[in-house]
Amino acid sequence: MSDINALIVDDSSVMRKIVERALRQAGLSLNKVYEASSGAEALDVLKSEQVQLILSDINMPMMDGLEFLRQMRAQDLAPDVPVVMITTEGSEEHVKAAIAAGAQGYIRKPFTPEQVKDRVLPLLELV
Amino acid sequence: MATPARELLQESAHAQDLDSAVEEVFRLMMGANCAPAEEHVFGNDETITAVIGLAGAMSGACTLRCGMDAALRMAECMVGVRPAELDDMVKDAIGEVCNMVAGAWKGKHPVLASGCMLSTPAVVTGTNYQLHMQQPEFRIDRSYRFEEHAVNISIVCESIQ
Repeated sequence: MSDINALIVDDSSVMRKIVERALRQAGLSLNKVYEASSGAEALDVLKSEQVQLILSDINMPMMDGLEFLRQMRAQDLAPDVPVVMITTEGSEEHVKAAIAAGAQGYIRKPFTPEQVKDRVLPLLELV
Repeated sequence: MATPARELLQESAHAQDLDSAVEEVFRLMMGANCAPAEEHVFGNDETITAVIGLAGAMSGACTLRCGMDAALRMAECMVGVRPAELDDMVKDAIGEVCNMVAGAWKGKHPVLASGCMLSTPAVVTGTNYQLHMQQPEFRIDRSYRFEEHAVNISIVCESIQ
């Protein structure tokens, strides 16, 4: 698998660092890591940058993760890029809502690097 | 007839669920042990408190309060580098720990897992302050030991729908 560009969307800069570290610990070779603190900011990134993986929180100010997903699909941004939600909202209803909005994976906080690896690597092998 | 949410929530082992949630968050995100301890009163020490609002099936808040050294150490455990001072990154880290504790706690109860939303964190720093809520339905106040530091975590339920 060649180096990939990833977009990490979370209003917490600490969580963005933790997610990036988990991706590297999972064995991913990252070329560039783009960060966004809201769904709106993430959409702006996708309009100008190419990424091969998106990880997004759900609860964020300005535009939450589910609305970001819907807007991403509606604007045909990164149509073939796998999206994994990483969030404290772990109920079955939230998972269903995320999948319905277009997510391919779901990780509940708190998480281990192994959980990130198990959710993310299979999605990248499918692309 | 389905048991009302009020009845289900009152019957739950909320303190045990909170202990379990705290243990899980500290172990998975910091690689650290955080176990229930004797009640700790912060007094005049400078402390940092994170507050996460809860709304929906239950209205209330989850709060996490600790001293400055504890906050710096938690941030170090999360990001791998010890901060030099209580900066925005440390406040962000404490807010996230409180967020994850609140999420893990509510996730242990079916009524709350899907029916209760979390706010984004608010963080307060200072000395000699108290948080008050009027006539809560119930509240859980727990003290924990994280390395040599005290951490107080509370769940306050203001109302149940």
